[in-house]
Amino acid sequence: MKIAVCIKQVVTREWQLRVNEPKTWIRDQDASFELNEPDAYALEEALRQKEKHGGEVVVVSAGPARATQVLREALARGADRAIHVESDTLAAADALVIADALACAIREEKFDLVLTGLQSDDQGFGQVGVVLAEKLGMPSASIIMEVQASESGLRVKRELEAGWFQWISLPLPALLTIQSGINQLRYATLKGIMAAKKKEIRKVTASGSAAPAQKILRVYFPEKGKKTQMIPGSATEAAKALVQKLRDEARVIA
Amino acid sequence: MDRETLEVDVLIVGGGPAGMSAALRLAQLQKAQGGEPLAIAVLEKAREAGAHMLSGAMLDPSALRELIPDFKEKGAPVASEVHHEHVYFLTKNSKVPFPITPPPLQNHGNYVISLNRFVKWMSGLVEAEGIDLFAGFPASEVLYDGDRVVGVRTRDQGIDKHGAKKSTFEAGVEIRAKVTILCDGVRGNLTKAVVRRLALDEGRQPQLYAIGLKELWEVPKDRIKAGTVVHTLGYPLKREEFGGGFLYAMPDGVVSVGFVTGLDYRDPMFDPHLTFQHFKQHPAIAAILQGGQMVRYGAKALPEGGWHTIPRVYADGLLIAGDAGGFVNSMRLKGIHLAMRTGMLAAETAYEAIRARDTSAARLWKYEERIDASEVRRELYPVRNVHQSFGYGLVPGLMYSGLSLVTGGWWLKDPMPAHAGFDRMAEIAEYYGEHKLDVDAPVRPVKVDRQLTFDKLTNVHHSGTRHTEDQPSHLIVYDTNICSTRCRVEYGNPCTRFCPANVYEMVDAGDGTKRLQINASNCVHCKTCDIMDPYQVIDWVPPEGGGGPQYDGM
Amino acid sequence: MILVIAEQREGKLNRASWEAMAAAQQAGGPVKVALLGSGDEPLAAELAAAEAAEVIVVDAAALGEYTADGQVAALAILIEQEQPGHVFFAHTYQTRDFAPVLATRLGRSLITDVTAIRQESGAMVFVRPVFQGKLNADVTAEGPAPHLVTIQIGAYRGDAAVRGASPAAIRKVEIAVDAAAVRQKPEAPFKEAKQAVDLSQAERIVAIGRGIKGQEHLKLAEDLAKAMGAEIAASRPICDSGWLPMDRQIGSSGQTVAPKLYVALGISGAIQHLVGMKGSKTIVAINKDPEAPIFEIADFGIAGDLFEVVPAMIAELNK
Ligand SMILES: Cc1cc2nc3c(=O)[nH]c(=O)nc-3n(C[C@H](O)[C@H](O)[C@H](O)COP(=O)(O)OP(=O)(O)OC[C@H]3O[C@@H](n4cnc5c(N)ncnc54)[C@H](O)[C@@H]3O)c2cc1C
Ligand SMILES: Cc1cc2nc3c(=O)[nH]c(=O)nc-3n(C[C@H](O)[C@H](O)[C@H](O)COP(=O)(O)OP(=O)(O)OC[C@H]3O[C@@H](n4cnc5c(N)ncnc54)[C@H](O)[C@@H]3O)c2cc1C
Ligand code: SF4
Repeated sequence: MKIAVCIKQVVTREWQLRVNEPKTWIRDQDASFELNEPDAYALEEALRQKEKHGGEVVVVSAGPARATQVLREALARGADRAIHVESDTLAAADALVIADALACAIREEKFDLVLTGLQSDDQGFGQVGVVLAEKLGMPSASIIMEVQASESGLRVKRELEAGWFQWISLPLPALLTIQSGINQLRYATLKGIMAAKKKEIRKVTASGSAAPAQKILRVYFPEKGKKTQMIPGSATEAAKALVQKLRDEARVIA
Repeated sequence: MDRETLEVDVLIVGGGPAGMSAALRLAQLQKAQGGEPLAIAVLEKAREAGAHMLSGAMLDPSALRELIPDFKEKGAPVASEVHHEHVYFLTKNSKVPFPITPPPLQNHGNYVISLNRFVKWMSGLVEAEGIDLFAGFPASEVLYDGDRVVGVRTRDQGIDKHGAKKSTFEAGVEIRAKVTILCDGVRGNLTKAVVRRLALDEGRQPQLYAIGLKELWEVPKDRIKAGTVVHTLGYPLKREEFGGGFLYAMPDGVVSVGFVTGLDYRDPMFDPHLTFQHFKQHPAIAAILQGGQMVRYGAKALPEGGWHTIPRVYADGLLIAGDAGGFVNSMRLKGIHLAMRTGMLAAETAYEAIRARDTSAARLWKYEERIDASEVRRELYPVRNVHQSFGYGLVPGLMYSGLSLVTGGWWLKDPMPAHAGFDRMAEIAEYYGEHKLDVDAPVRPVKVDRQLTFDKLTNVHHSGTRHTEDQPSHLIVYDTNICSTRCRVEYGNPCTRFCPANVYEMVDAGDGTKRLQINASNCVHCKTCDIMDPYQVIDWVPPEGGGGPQYDGM
Repeated sequence: MILVIAEQREGKLNRASWEAMAAAQQAGGPVKVALLGSGDEPLAAELAAAEAAEVIVVDAAALGEYTADGQVAALAILIEQEQPGHVFFAHTYQTRDFAPVLATRLGRSLITDVTAIRQESGAMVFVRPVFQGKLNADVTAEGPAPHLVTIQIGAYRGDAAVRGASPAAIRKVEIAVDAAAVRQKPEAPFKEAKQAVDLSQAERIVAIGRGIKGQEHLKLAEDLAKAMGAEIAASRPICDSGWLPMDRQIGSSGQTVAPKLYVALGISGAIQHLVGMKGSKTIVAINKDPEAPIFEIADFGIAGDLFEVVPAMIAELNK
């Protein structure tokens, strides 16, 4: 099976966010970056599928030059080769533009299976994978917790809400967005890192033509703006008053 | 257990300035002299090169100029040269400028840098040379063949809290090398083990250490000019304590503010974190920080013992460089250039030895010879007794510091006698006399406002620290009974104070007594507990690869 | 006109559909509601209670069971027919599955996970969280209408949707969906008894911290949780001690939750805990230390001893 995994480089969760001067994005010049967590699960799933069925795993990332970091990491974990759609503007682009750039870069390769993470830790659109499927003319299924692949197609377990799941079947080629926690991530190994140096990272220029679908006017820290009502009185009085407020004012209990 | 092995010529453990300089120097020698290319590998425990770097930092560029003459063209992040320099003696509410800046603190020609960024930049150069840089791989053990060091083993990954293997378990790898250069920094776990096993500290004075706490701030851009550096002595330290504060201004209103205290304080109730808060509240410092935002926090120990505490830094198959060897000029609060320099000298020695097919101690002894002939000795020898002399108090210490420059360091006995720092800590009863003390309450509390002053946990949050939660504690306390019994009475559990990350807590045991709780995942890898615990029952061992702080911009 | 797409599964409306309705009503302008399925008249009647121009029922056999392809095919035609200015969805797992395909097929903008809507110089400005809620972004949709918008669950109150004086008209439309063109073949949904609790789905949470003192007092918190219909959770020290399993830990190294009600008992409010729960709608803190940072983010606070307050609350709730 020929599998593509789309991965994104995002700022580390530990980095303290700072907003840039026009206040339209973050100031990330001195940030540190890492592989978007859901994408790590997608990559792991691809590697496991390859171990079962053979084939090739190709990682693809659309982003600025620094994104080679996550491509290298993916190669070290076992991906066979990488495609880097290099463009500075893609770092903060919207889902449609990113998916378009990815589609242009991988369409010719005719993958059997394309995997992406559920959503990215930065923009959090939750759209790129599904849009990409449509651009590639593939069926898709999202928030996947298990993948059973055969020659005839896929049977995958979709997560619904509130503890519900559903199996669905779809023909190949197809695209899946992978839910975090679907598998246990493997550790990088020294051998893997050394082997990665010899693997190919093919750079392509972004050739997508999609017009932006959203415009960010500004980004800002959410206002705290909570007014705390301290409830006075003895323990019994306060408890009584609190229960009443929760019932009548906040209406969060019956 | 079956372990993979990896053979290299030179293995460098620790990707700080010492390790990166050693790697670059090896690549340069290789290029200049040709021949069969050497296999070189660098191991670093941080997830990414530079992530565990915390320093002031003012860089003396002497070693950098030699190693990378075109460092500016290569884009070294050395944004601001030092322009204005102030030294103050602080009293509680005022500051007295020193009439002249004492010579060791004269920093013209130096740069204010972020060591995190600087090392990240160096790592790019190292990788461009084709050297294998393995970030996220802590070395847990030294491998020996008799007394010969033959490499290291990396830590096993994927072990749960209870010591069982997880499904993702990955056994550590044995890396075998002709020469192992240990650059594992202050109180490096490997250096510590190897110095003990091979008795490399025989005839040397015990190392002395200090702990430095630091915050990175962003203040209004016009508040302070980039390249301004401030050093302080005095408040909030007591006269008997060695240390001082620093504040370095970088471009765009980025300010590095920190406080360093000798880990040889007597007062068992001393709390470096609270001291740092008091320091920031001093009007001279608060005026600069007010209205700004704290963006990063961290802490790290540094060796301050100087020349007489440096162990033998070579053995069969082994060299030790940088902070691991104790190469720091404590009077100038500078170690980066010495780490770089010793890393370079170690590389030169290793390269020659490998080419000569002799990596025995007899051959590697050349390293010591090189050090003795270099700037390193010229810089460290004259100030060899500085920290030790502060052991006699601030005023004699200061006099001594001044005098050493004149006399070349000759003073009283040479070398001055010194004890290991933890040895000097007094017992509560001795220090506070008979009057009752609540050891769970600070002696000099700070009302935390979360603007200028912070509690430890909020601070730790800003260190970006992350560890896999489900793993064994990497802080090994050999006897936790002592904590609730002897230590509580004798020293009042100083670990709860000197740990800058709230790793150690004494909690109710449920039977009216207290027990030690270790929040290992808070640890910022400063090594203070390993150094300062009065009973020496704490061992810091590396946690799972990639764990630890994320010192962006520090 | 805003077209709200309601969601149903197994004959039940997803309550988040009412939240999308509320958002649409508050955004201004006339609202229509559409429901896709087969044989869903009772649900249509339920929706007709809302103040809306009409309820459109798209009834086709191929829409009986949800599939992304079926949904997209039907909605593409419906939107073509109705020409709305905006199409609103609740940001459910189902919406995530097909809305991006729909937007792509229509060549229209899709703004996801919206928490608030404002008018700014005549255009709708959508507020959505970025960087995992650490920042908000104000965004506008680009390109021609209709713009597709998904509303974060819990951002609007379902009971704030205005009900009409009389039921809205219900109109059935026939849209032919070619069942053969549906590529996904679904099986029946099933519930899985996951061993791990999914606190992120809990409506109410009672969380305990070190103030609970001992494992033997856990029962007190459990009783309160029972009286409120809440799940139990904890700060890290509680899970570290093994009093509760790790999957009940809230915070930066545990779960992130945003229930309707979060009751913090004896939790100081360390930042690592707060990042995991500060998105909760209503936060109650009970702590004997009036200076505890947890009060800074609480809606209701009682500075008192939990061992006195909690029994009194249980008594009051069980009255
Ligand atoms: C608060 C403070 C302020 C300072 N200010 C200045 C200043 O202004 N100017 C100056 O010149 N110096 C300053 N110093 C000193 C300077 O930072 C150090 O001397 C210098 O960083 C030493 O470099 P090094 O490479 O020897 O060690 P380090 O920089 O400590 O690097 C050691 C590396 O080894 C890694 N490591 C450790 N153990 C292992 C293991 N087992 N396996 C794998 N990797 C491991 C660590 O993660 C780290 O990356 C300051 C120090 C402190 C604490
Ligand atoms: C890297 C890292 C990750 C972390 N991850 C998490 C995480 O995921 N989740 C988490 O929760 N923590 C986490 N922590 C730990 C966190 O910093 C705090 O230590 C922890 O949240 C404190 O738990 P607590 O509030 O229960 O305990 P404490 O801080 O000890 O607070 C107990 C509170 O109970 C109150 N109290 C005591 N008795 C009573 C009484 N009788 N009635 C009422 N109130 C009483 C006290 O006033 C006090 O405020 C993490 C820390 C680090 C550094
Ligand atoms: S546990 Fe030890 S090494 Fe870790 S932060 Fe605390 S004192 Fe430093």
